[in-house]
Amino acid sequence: MISIKVFKVHKPELCPVKINGMLTEQFIQGLIEETRKVLNQSEKLNAKDLNYLTWKSNTESWSILECLEHLNLYGDYYLPEIRKAIRRSTAAPDTNVKPGWLGNYFAKSMLPKEKLNKMKTFKDKDPMNLHAPLTKEIIAVFIGQQHELLELLNEAKGANLNRIRIKTSISPLLRLKLGDTFHFVINHIIRHMAQIERVEREIQY
Amino acid sequence: MELSSVISGLPHSVIMLERNEYLKVKGSADTNIYFIESGSLRAFVLDDCEEQIIRFGYTGNIIVSLDSFLTERPSDFYIQAIKKCELKVITKRDFKLFLDRDKSHQSWWISVLEELVLQQMEREVDILTTSPKERYNRILKRSPRLFQEIPNRYIANYLRMSPETLSRLKKS
Repeated sequence: MISIKVFKVHKPELCPVKINGMLTEQFIQGLIEETRKVLNQSEKLNAKDLNYLTWKSNTESWSILECLEHLNLYGDYYLPEIRKAIRRSTAAPDTNVKPGWLGNYFAKSMLPKEKLNKMKTFKDKDPMNLHAPLTKEIIAVFIGQQHELLELLNEAKGANLNRIRIKTSISPLLRLKLGDTFHFVINHIIRHMAQIERVEREIQY
Repeated sequence: MELSSVISGLPHSVIMLERNEYLKVKGSADTNIYFIESGSLRAFVLDDCEEQIIRFGYTGNIIVSLDSFLTERPSDFYIQAIKKCELKVITKRDFKLFLDRDKSHQSWWISVLEELVLQQMEREVDILTTSPKERYNRILKRSPRLFQEIPNRYIANYLRMSPETLSRLKKS
């Protein structure tokens, strides 16, 4: 389990979007735009040195590279699952997105709140457990994953976000709609990118 | 009409991009016109994970995802900063208002588009030219500025040759 220090988020940039009934095209466009912002933030991180990227306020909290490695572990699972599911399916796209209650709950719970909502990390997704070498290769992998995510979002324009189901990393019995999975995965990335911004503010002091 | 004076007369906002930051990614619809106040950018597509550069933009140029601008639909282009950039952003709406205000504005815009068509035709011949040396010579003659402002690996990609081939051609 990981505890993250509570810091006030200065500017909550995320406005709650009402997704139910949203046009599929708008929904995907929104996620593409979020991914562009994430890409830009990671390109800026890529310009920093290893001291900056491995800095941490205490032994319990994650460095920037550990946050990114955590996201890579999720990407390693979800990106191939999403790709397989899209290519397997022949269902035509729906005009509107209809989130499932569980998927919507998962996705929403990921977003960083004004007062940080701490969360448990699954052991197999904890970078501190894995002792992976912390090198800039982690950023290169992360950037590669964002490009892959963009490819999949583009492919998904021709797929059915409501009918295709994706097995979660928690259990193969627990499956989320493709739309909810994208939403969840991207909100999870946004959550840790906000965490990285907090780490960066601490480094400034 | 000078492009920069037209642009500064239009309502615009300003955005800054650090090196390697993306102005646009695949699948987004971007109908803005960007005037490059400083810096340089490249437009590319990803073809099976392989980048293929389509165009460059330098200080004093405009850069637009023209397909998106015209159709207001998503497009496949990426636009990324090569160097730190300052861009003036003009919305399609404001630009249209400007064009509709005066006939001379429209004929100016047509001349900009005509120039673009000519450039595109040149570029098409470039791509269809088999000999790397010939491709290199054509572009060296047409836009010497490219070699002053753009890193070699990007020029090589634009010319559809390896960086090694490009450096050999530059020496000869």
